[in-house]
Amino acid sequence: MGSIALGRYIPLDSVVHKMDPRAKIMAMLIVLIAVFFPSGWIGYAVLFAAASLMILLSKLSVGFIWRAMRPMLIMLVFLLVINALVVHTGPVLFSIGSFSVYLDAVLQTLYIAVRLLLMIMITTCLTATTKPLDMTLGIEDLLKPFEKIHVPAHEIAMLISIALRFIPDLIDETQRIMKAQESRGVDLQEGKLKEKIQAILSLIVPLFVSAFQRAEDLANAMEARGYMPGEPRTRYKVLKMAGRDYILLACALITAVGIGVLAWAV
Amino acid sequence: MPIAFKDVSHVYSAGTPYEYRALDHVDLEIQEGKMTAVVGQTGSGKSTLVQHLNALLLPTEGTVYILDRTIDANKKPKQLKSLRGDVGLVFQFPEYQLFEETVLKDTAFGPKNFGCTVEEAEKRAKQALQLTGIGPEYYERSPLELSGGQKRRVAIAGILAMDPRVLVLDEPTAGLDPAGTASMMKLFRRLNQELHKTVLIVTHDMEQVYRYCDEVIVVHDGKIRHQESSAEFFKDAHLCNEMGVLPPSLIRLEEMMREFGFAVPQGIVTEEQLAQWIAQEVKNHG
Ligand SMILES: Nc1ncnc2c1ncn2[C@@H]1O[C@H](COP(=O)(O)OP(=O)(O)O)[C@@H](O)[C@H]1O
Ligand SMILES: [Mg+2]
Repeated sequence: MGSIALGRYIPLDSVVHKMDPRAKIMAMLIVLIAVFFPSGWIGYAVLFAAASLMILLSKLSVGFIWRAMRPMLIMLVFLLVINALVVHTGPVLFSIGSFSVYLDAVLQTLYIAVRLLLMIMITTCLTATTKPLDMTLGIEDLLKPFEKIHVPAHEIAMLISIALRFIPDLIDETQRIMKAQESRGVDLQEGKLKEKIQAILSLIVPLFVSAFQRAEDLANAMEARGYMPGEPRTRYKVLKMAGRDYILLACALITAVGIGVLAWAV
Repeated sequence: MPIAFKDVSHVYSAGTPYEYRALDHVDLEIQEGKMTAVVGQTGSGKSTLVQHLNALLLPTEGTVYILDRTIDANKKPKQLKSLRGDVGLVFQFPEYQLFEETVLKDTAFGPKNFGCTVEEAEKRAKQALQLTGIGPEYYERSPLELSGGQKRRVAIAGILAMDPRVLVLDEPTAGLDPAGTASMMKLFRRLNQELHKTVLIVTHDMEQVYRYCDEVIVVHDGKIRHQESSAEFFKDAHLCNEMGVLPPSLIRLEEMMREFGFAVPQGIVTEEQLAQWIAQEVKNHG
């Protein structure tokens, strides 16, 4: 479980880690939109440079980005195969018997691969540098204006933070139950289909039982301490935008607008 | 062949910022047929240690020898399944592993996995349930409806039904009431003495260790701090004090009497013996 890189918080000491989560979320959204503009290779080069700069500033390693990207590779290979079968435009790259692969098939796959890489780089800049709880505070604040149209901003944020809070616990619990059942002779790797189904049942049932148990305990503990959804609450941690946060937002905006103009001009 | 650890280390999450050396060059021998207690503070590595016994965890360095099998770091282990049938491991809070519709089915799950027919598995399950004090009236109940203590008994029966040669229990009495704890410990002692099973039990309860176990292993910071016979370990209170745990009440009483000037001899290990000695003294000094 220690090898999952995508979406994981990495505790480092960098400027990006210190930035306001609201600024980071907004900047990420703005730049993500820019990725979807058809701005051609120049646009992508600019975005790549911008994302690389952010990663450099957050002191993350290239290896980490690579590990975040790796699960996507299978999907890309699959995509390449499909494109090779379907796309029949552009010059022929090479032929195997009567089957030819066209340049456009490769180009289109590459196009998607680059976009995917950019998206992963940009989201990683946010998720790897922002503590999950800060992230939910940021989301809550950004959703505040929508309370007017009855979006339950606080409840959504609370739901997200509780879910995030329980992910490590549930992973631990899963591993514990797996070990307990393996001690009873469950073989999760091998076995016939019927045995496999039993093995999975022996994991899922206890996992659900304990998840419901936890949820109930937590609900009781929150109520016992006077938590009421919808009531006004004060906050232990108050977010404050600093100069660097405005600079980040400005840079994101400039990049996005620049890319937009480029896409329009092309 | 006894159970042995040779220079065994276990490192969690090696090569990440979360790397942690939970076992640090452990050398250890456990005699077959004994009932051994593993004690130590929370986080000292007890659970990590016992999970090596049925290869749920593999050593990251060193070798574990168990029941004629060798488990080496760097070598892919073989015959894991048969090892798990021979070494029954009861996890901390095992009640969380129950999942079948009925108590009987859940208890028979282990033996079925190890190749028993349904009839054979249910026969063994019934025997195991009887040992742990779960009567036939519970066989068809859902294990999820039982009380906490009963669930624990069913879960332990689920391991006993596999009829392992070595029984390893990780804090089996945590959270049970005193009567439940005592009957559980008596059961383990019976399995050890009557069915000649090697029993290894992780516990914090010195009273139970003193009363029921032959050997004591003290784990501290991933290392073996002491390994001694129970009699030697509880000769006086100093090892318990060193570990920061409360010595058994009988030892405390003897120590207190010595402090007040009574020459309590060594080797008094039961309440009856102490009472007899006191009675004798009172008569002598009439
Ligand atoms: N899966 C794991 N990953 C990382 N560290 C762990 C894991 N399991 C246990 N540890 C750490 O190893 C140490 C020993 O744990 P454990 O063997 O459970 O101790 P004990 O059973 O004596 O309380 C603890 O500090 C614990 O935090
Ligand atoms: Mg433990």
